Amino acid sequence: MVSRKPFDRIDSCRLEKVTKKYGDRFAVKNLNLEIQGGELLILIGRSGSGKTTALRMINRLIEPDSGSISVNGIDVREFDPILLRRNIGYVIQNIGLLPHLRVSENIGLILKLESWKEEKIRERVKYLLNLVSLPPQIFMERYPHELSGGQQQRVGLARAMAMDPPLFLMDEPFGALDPLLRSQLQDEFCKIKKELGRTIVFVTHDINEAFRLGDRIAVMNNAELVQVGTPEELIFSPANDLVAEIVDSKRKYRHIDALKVRDIMQPLEKRYILYPGMSAASALDYMVKVGLEVALVFWNPENTGRVYLNDVLNAVSSGKSLEEAAKPLPLFSPEISLLEALARLKAEGESMGLVLEADKPAGILFSDRVLENLI
Amino acid sequence: MVLTGEVLQATLEHLLLAYAALAAGILVAAPLIFFSLYSAKLASLIMKFSNLVQAIPSFAVVALVVPLIGIGFTPAVIAIMLRVLLPIIKNTYIGLFNVDPALIESSKGIGLSEFQIIRHVRLPNAYPAIFAGIKFAAILANSIAVLTALIGGGGLGSIIFEGLTNFNTSKVLAGTLPVIGIALFLDFSFSRIERWLTPEYLQK
Repeated sequence: MVSRKPFDRIDSCRLEKVTKKYGDRFAVKNLNLEIQGGELLILIGRSGSGKTTALRMINRLIEPDSGSISVNGIDVREFDPILLRRNIGYVIQNIGLLPHLRVSENIGLILKLESWKEEKIRERVKYLLNLVSLPPQIFMERYPHELSGGQQQRVGLARAMAMDPPLFLMDEPFGALDPLLRSQLQDEFCKIKKELGRTIVFVTHDINEAFRLGDRIAVMNNAELVQVGTPEELIFSPANDLVAEIVDSKRKYRHIDALKVRDIMQPLEKRYILYPGMSAASALDYMVKVGLEVALVFWNPENTGRVYLNDVLNAVSSGKSLEEAAKPLPLFSPEISLLEALARLKAEGESMGLVLEADKPAGILFSDRVLENLI
Repeated sequence: MVLTGEVLQATLEHLLLAYAALAAGILVAAPLIFFSLYSAKLASLIMKFSNLVQAIPSFAVVALVVPLIGIGFTPAVIAIMLRVLLPIIKNTYIGLFNVDPALIESSKGIGLSEFQIIRHVRLPNAYPAIFAGIKFAAILANSIAVLTALIGGGGLGSIIFEGLTNFNTSKVLAGTLPVIGIALFLDFSFSRIERWLTPEYLQK
């Protein structure tokens, strides 16, 4: 069989007015959802909310009754389903390794069907096993039943990556593992994800997993999409009570009211601060030498700003001073409430603010780090 | 000495009869199973038919063949074949369709075609069950081959019936002992082959 890849990269994957009915019951109802290239989108909801059905329509394991699903603007129905699926990594909770095949044969099965040479397959299998932290010399010749649950799931992941697909569909891949192992695999998965930079649609019912892995989260209920947004958006402005309940904003983040900026801010290292009197040129030298992408310019509490390396570069070439190049950024006292500070950041469209203590820079507040620190 | 030669001759006939029927059974079952993988209707029809044949007593199946095809070696083979069809087909079915649905699902998901799923997932999963069916069929063929002596199939059955009619105990024994011997040998040898064929992952 000649290998024809339907797509090499994902710019977008769009579900438009997708509906699927089983009998009288809607499994998915009028779903509109866009998955952006390179992101990890979480589909979360209770069982029966339609998240798995939505996922399985993307690689045509289920065909929608109406509506369309497209990858890079091309309807998936125009692709041969077999070729489509080989170009989309698929990992499910039950893994589904073939019990009569060794680990290497399981991972290499599709490659073999794609008429790869034996040697090339072995090479690829070794690479993939290393990627999922299973030493090939130990694991290649084993049978699935000789592996632990976590190891099997790693092999499942390696198998899904065999054809180097640009898109992954994952259906509760870590759901059957014990909590400790789950969080370890999630960590490793994050690393792999960063390394490979793939587009991933990930089904789960575990909100902590969703927060941990997801760039954006789509909440589904009763076959319909309720809200889609970043973890922060869901927590701080849930669309309805259900979302609030799912993200558990009441219980888990109740204490957020009591938090102060001091609790969450990142300590500011001295090297990030540029002091007055510095010329744009020497600031550039300094930033390049120390390896800074961004720095703070601090004269006094009334004159504080942030410069990116690019700004300094522009300032040097246009003869501006460092002070002119700096953009003002919100200032906070460490004692004000976190929610108030976050609201101000949001209102000003900023992602970071400077925390001043006794008129001296003490720390930085990143809005997108707030969640990380809370979970 | 005469008896020894006769028993030896009958034993060979008996083995030929049973194995010809077994081979015919496998040859008939294989395409039936293959085609019914693609047609649920055919599958249910075949299952119903083989269940029906199973319900009819062996002796009746043997007797029924006579008015339809006559007597002799070939009708005997056909009678045994009809009788052994069921265990082969039924076990193959169980093996092919008792596959963990998650396995089929994930195989489909990673891009295996229907045929590749049969070839790489269903069949390997079914080997042990298919083999158990064939082993059972072989032992069944051996015992029915005794009955088919009545319709001129020859074999050890002829000696047994002759012995019974003449109250000749030694003749009865001369017929039955080899049949028992064959049965034990079949069981033993098939068990050995079974162990040899059983996939590594199932051996504990």
